[in-house]
Amino acid sequence: MKITVRVFGRYKDITKKDTIQLNIGEGNTLGDVIDSFVKQYPTTEKDKSRMMVSKNKMYASFDTTIIEGDEITLSPPVVSGG
Amino acid sequence: MSTDRYRRQTLVKELGQKGQELLATKHAIVIGGGGLGSHSANLLVRMGIGSIDIIDDDIVDITNLHRTSVFTQEDLGKSKAFVLQEKLRAINTEVRVRGINQKVTKENIESLVKNADVIVDGTDGMSLRFIINEVSIKYNIPWVYAGVYETVGMVMGILPKKTPCLQCISQNIPESTSGETPVIGSLPAIIASIQCTETIKLLLGKPLAGLLIYDVWNQCFDTMDIKRNPYCPMCGKKKKIN
Repeated sequence: MKITVRVFGRYKDITKKDTIQLNIGEGNTLGDVIDSFVKQYPTTEKDKSRMMVSKNKMYASFDTTIIEGDEITLSPPVVSGG
Repeated sequence: MSTDRYRRQTLVKELGQKGQELLATKHAIVIGGGGLGSHSANLLVRMGIGSIDIIDDDIVDITNLHRTSVFTQEDLGKSKAFVLQEKLRAINTEVRVRGINQKVTKENIESLVKNADVIVDGTDGMSLRFIINEVSIKYNIPWVYAGVYETVGMVMGILPKKTPCLQCISQNIPESTSGETPVIGSLPAIIASIQCTETIKLLLGKPLAGLLIYDVWNQCFDTMDIKRNPYCPMCGKKKKIN
């Protein structure tokens, strides 16, 4: 299925877009969304394990299943410096 | 309270004289007095918060100077908390400023923050932020997370059990990696300004903006409207069934 993902922060700069389309298999998870995103935009690889991914305005774990029509967002990891 | 000092600020309709007077009754605790914390403490004192404690056990180091504006070379080697106390008292004698030269830990945080109306995050690692998050929820004390990395900053005001907590948005985040955090010098001042505005809004009971992400290099500003995670292990009510 084709899903639309809204991207935030520097991911807008990397993708040159506010929203991107990704091809994901039925029954796939948010982790699969991240895999697909990283494959398409390899410079995001270093964020992979810490990327913030939300489904329907709620942050969710990578094993959360998605269905067509879910509102997905991807943003860079929570920033930790002070 | 001096009316002249805040005259230009009270003209702002979002605040007004009433808001200014309310701010003067509030107690903020800034944990960390580095890039973010020193800027935030400075602004809160200038904006007329009633009282402020700044807690940090570190000393001013040469590596702090590129991203701070209160510290000078003369302060090198001195306690950040005490330098901030001295300098911020000189800026606004109407605000009670106290520097506490102490490391914040899981064991002492309750005694340090129990009387706070708000906690302002100036820390530089995730483990202490999770301790702040936990105590915030336990004692219903709002706090404002902020972080900086390279050219990107994030801010999120947290109203316990009403808005998402740090755990709600960061369940996949491991402990901070060791080593120095790269930060462009202009970033902490901007992020601290946003953080202080969210702090003031929290204290005045105004709605918060959600998670704010700012990339100073690409001039990209985003606000994410997010919901609480009902299964959040820290603030959620529901238990996840696997």
